[in-house]
Amino acid sequence: MSAILVLTPVVIGSWPVITAAVAGAAAAMGLVVSESVKETVKESQSNVEQSVEFELSDSKVLAESMATDQEIVLTKGTIELSVKRDERGRCSVCAKGVGHSEAELKQVAEEFTQKLTQCFVYDKVVRELKNKEFQVVNEEVMEDESIRIHVRRWMD
Amino acid sequence: MAQHEVEITISKSGEVRVHIKGAKGKSCLAYSKWLTELIGKVKDQQLTSEYYEPEIKARIDLEQDLRMDE
Repeated sequence: MSAILVLTPVVIGSWPVITAAVAGAAAAMGLVVSESVKETVKESQSNVEQSVEFELSDSKVLAESMATDQEIVLTKGTIELSVKRDERGRCSVCAKGVGHSEAELKQVAEEFTQKLTQCFVYDKVVRELKNKEFQVVNEEVMEDESIRIHVRRWMD
Repeated sequence: MAQHEVEITISKSGEVRVHIKGAKGKSCLAYSKWLTELIGKVKDQQLTSEYYEPEIKARIDLEQDLRMDE
C-alpha cells in the first residue's frame, strides 16, 4: 500500500458535460427526460403542489456554453425534477409534484443530486484514466451502489 | 518496470476513496496531486509505509552497491 485518499468531489463542467451526467443519473433512477411535461405541471399548479430546491454546494456550471434559461426537465410519475444553473453559477435541482410531501420531494432531489455527482465523477475519472493509458482490471457496482474501478499501468 | 495500481471507489453520494498501490515516494505524490485536481478536495489522507520506501530505481542501485561491497 502507498496511500489512501478520501476526496469530496467538486462538480465543475460545461453544460454539455453536466447534461451527460444528468442523463446518466436519470437513466439510473428511471427518470424520463421531458421538456413537454413542464407545461402539463404548470397547468395543474392550482392544486396543492410542493416544491423543494436542492443545490450542489461544490458545483460550477461553466457559463460560456449555455443560455441562462437553459434547464433539463425530468419526470417520474407525478414528480418533476428540473436541473439548471442558478444565478451564482451553481448547479441546482428543483423537485416538485402534486400530492407529494415536502419530505418526499426532498428525498428524491437529494437522491438525484447524489446520483448526478456519482455519474459526473465516474465519467470524468474514466475519461482521464484512459488518457493516462491505465488498463481497467475490474469495474463493478457494489451492493451499496458504489462503483469500484480497479486500474493499473506499468511504469519505467 | 513497476506496476502501479489505483483502486477508485465512488460512493453512492459521490465521495471518492482512492487507494494507490505500488507507487512510492514522489510518484505516489504525483498520483495524489493528479487525482485531487481531477476530483475535488481532500477529506482524508493516509500515507502507508510503502510511501516512504525508496523508488525502485534507487533500491536497485543500493542492492548493486551492497553486492559490490561483498
